[in-house]
Amino acid sequence: MESGLIVESNLIVTLMVAHLIASLLAVEVRNLRYAVACLAVQSALLASIFAAFAYLTATPNLYYWVLTALATKVVIIPVLLWYHILRLPERELQPMIGFRISTAIIAVLTVICYRFLHTYVEFVAPTPEATIEPARSCLAIAFTVFALGLYVLMVRRDGVKIIIGMILLENGIHLSLVTLAPTLPETTVLGVTTNVVVTAWVLLYLVRQAFERLGTTDTLDLSQLRH
Amino acid sequence: MIDNGQIVKSLLPVLTFLLPGGAGVLVLVFARRQALLRGALTVLGLGAALLTSGLCAARVLRGEVLVAWHMTIYVDALSVLMQLLGGMLAVLVACYSIGFSRHVPRMGDFSSGRRGVYYGLILLFLATMNWTCSTNNIVMLWVSLEATTLAMTFQVTFYWKRESIEAGYKYLLLVAVGVAFALFGCVLVYSAGLAFLPGNEALLLSSLRKIAHQIPANLVLLTAAFFIAGFGTKTGLLPFHAWVPDAHSEAPTPVSALLSGVVLKIGAYALARTLIMFAPQYPPIVVFVALLASVGMLIAIFMAWAQDDLKRLLAYHSVSQMGYVVEGLGMGTYLGIYGGLFHLINHTVFKSLLFLSVGAVMYATGGLRKMSQLGGLGRHMPITAFCFFVGALAMGGLPPFNGFMSKFTLFLALGQRRLLWAAVVSVVTGLLTLACMVHAAYKVFWGRPVANPSDAREPREVPAWMTVTMLLLAAACVLLGVYPQIAYPVLDRATKCILSVLGSG
Repeated sequence: MESGLIVESNLIVTLMVAHLIASLLAVEVRNLRYAVACLAVQSALLASIFAAFAYLTATPNLYYWVLTALATKVVIIPVLLWYHILRLPERELQPMIGFRISTAIIAVLTVICYRFLHTYVEFVAPTPEATIEPARSCLAIAFTVFALGLYVLMVRRDGVKIIIGMILLENGIHLSLVTLAPTLPETTVLGVTTNVVVTAWVLLYLVRQAFERLGTTDTLDLSQLRH
Repeated sequence: MIDNGQIVKSLLPVLTFLLPGGAGVLVLVFARRQALLRGALTVLGLGAALLTSGLCAARVLRGEVLVAWHMTIYVDALSVLMQLLGGMLAVLVACYSIGFSRHVPRMGDFSSGRRGVYYGLILLFLATMNWTCSTNNIVMLWVSLEATTLAMTFQVTFYWKRESIEAGYKYLLLVAVGVAFALFGCVLVYSAGLAFLPGNEALLLSSLRKIAHQIPANLVLLTAAFFIAGFGTKTGLLPFHAWVPDAHSEAPTPVSALLSGVVLKIGAYALARTLIMFAPQYPPIVVFVALLASVGMLIAIFMAWAQDDLKRLLAYHSVSQMGYVVEGLGMGTYLGIYGGLFHLINHTVFKSLLFLSVGAVMYATGGLRKMSQLGGLGRHMPITAFCFFVGALAMGGLPPFNGFMSKFTLFLALGQRRLLWAAVVSVVTGLLTLACMVHAAYKVFWGRPVANPSDAREPREVPAWMTVTMLLLAAACVLLGVYPQIAYPVLDRATKCILSVLGSG
């Protein structure tokens, strides 16, 4: 029995590492179509983490999360992104920080963020249960993905990449939500996930409109409004 | 502990958001082009929202708390205050827009087909706002708050010009990301609550505040930071204000009035519902919020001084004035919270009056809104000039207008708490506000007329739909200033709602 639990726990940790790598790829891949594919994989891995949790902790409520995540994060959002980027430039605009330096920065950021949160999990864990594996690693990963999303929002200039960053950020929050509060009622889950879909859609629509008027998805060009 | 009132089950609060929401969807889907049907649906939707919130208010004032859907809807005096404010302003803005939408095409496309989208979105916004103010579920509070942001996005980008797209993009991105922090805070509080409360009850704000003092200190610190950053972005508090001037200046002017009048307040409302539950145990949070608000209001005033664009100027003043509101709410005393809420109402009244007056100026001059391009309009548009002056003096805190009453209450409250530095900052900010606004009003309405070669037409007074709306708001400025007792019953109960959270710790 004991070893079975360890195997399952290892499964979650493996999934989480894969999820983190997919997040990094979604950030660093410069071809936007591949980046969206990475985002879809990242979301699929997120859904499978939810499923593993549901199985491991025997929380049937979580299967609802799995279904919603599959529908919104793996299907609707990537399809929306795909539909719009087919009509936008394929390559991301040159970011403010080059590929090598950026990769180095996020590698260091990720390691530091993860190690710090994993070691000092008491600071962010609201309950003692959350400091035990696998919840502990999950929380650390959730905060790391959140920080990764913030990093994208701060240093990237391509409108589509910024939307990908925002979705990563929300995915991080949702992972923490599932880890900390698996018993969230269905309507609330639906509200939280639908919101992200609508926000992503409206932002994409605005980037498309800006592209049609300005011929670029560069968000730095969207800075005429200075007093 | 002060009693909030008797809990009564009622579906009335649900109607406050379902009815306008339904009407909004109908307008957007079916009646975008049929003027008559669209008008009827808008009137019905707004009327129903105002009527149901009025009925809620009547019952709440009799000492009831209305709940529905297993306590996830919870309407007390604070909710009612916000709903009435939102409903009344939405009605006034809709009336004003009937006249305003006939402006010259140069200002932007407000043609008949676009009006359906406009009124539909106003209805949807009012619905989401009423939902935010009546929900008791901490995660749904985030969901509905985000929904208000989304409902306003296509209003900000309404003209679909280059600048409005930029403003809309910035608005949505900054507010969505900012408020995502608040979601993180909500999640942490909820999961911390799970340790003390059974499953679904840990989601309820009304239950969470009873156990807030048991949440570990480090978590409170983190959560408070998330709430301040998140809801502070929505409130437009400095330093999270970057979206405010852009969105306010590029949206159609009646929408700016809504943004400044109620959208910013929703953030303050959310702060009052969430952050305040930590206040009894952790007084430093209160001091920090007061510090942030005080510094913010002063810096924002200097930013306002630098503006030439009237709408950007008013937007920076909004950032500054929200500092007063948050400062009051953060003080945690009866007088402070009363003053904060009173200023919240007054700011809605005088700031929407000011925005609508600027809208009238733009209407008459074909879209001019830079002070350097305007002057001497007082002779041509006496009513607008009068209204702008009333608004300006009210915001500057001059008696007998409403701004004076609430600011004076706040100064007294600050003195009572021995926060003299904050009182000095607030008074100085008030004087600077007055000077800045009088300067702007003088320049636009009395100053030398600026030759305007592109538009040889003489500016004329605006249509009655607009003047009547502005005069009503100006009357409210005077009424609330001369006879402030009129707001007392609601304010007193709303203040006690917040105080009861503080008292229970």
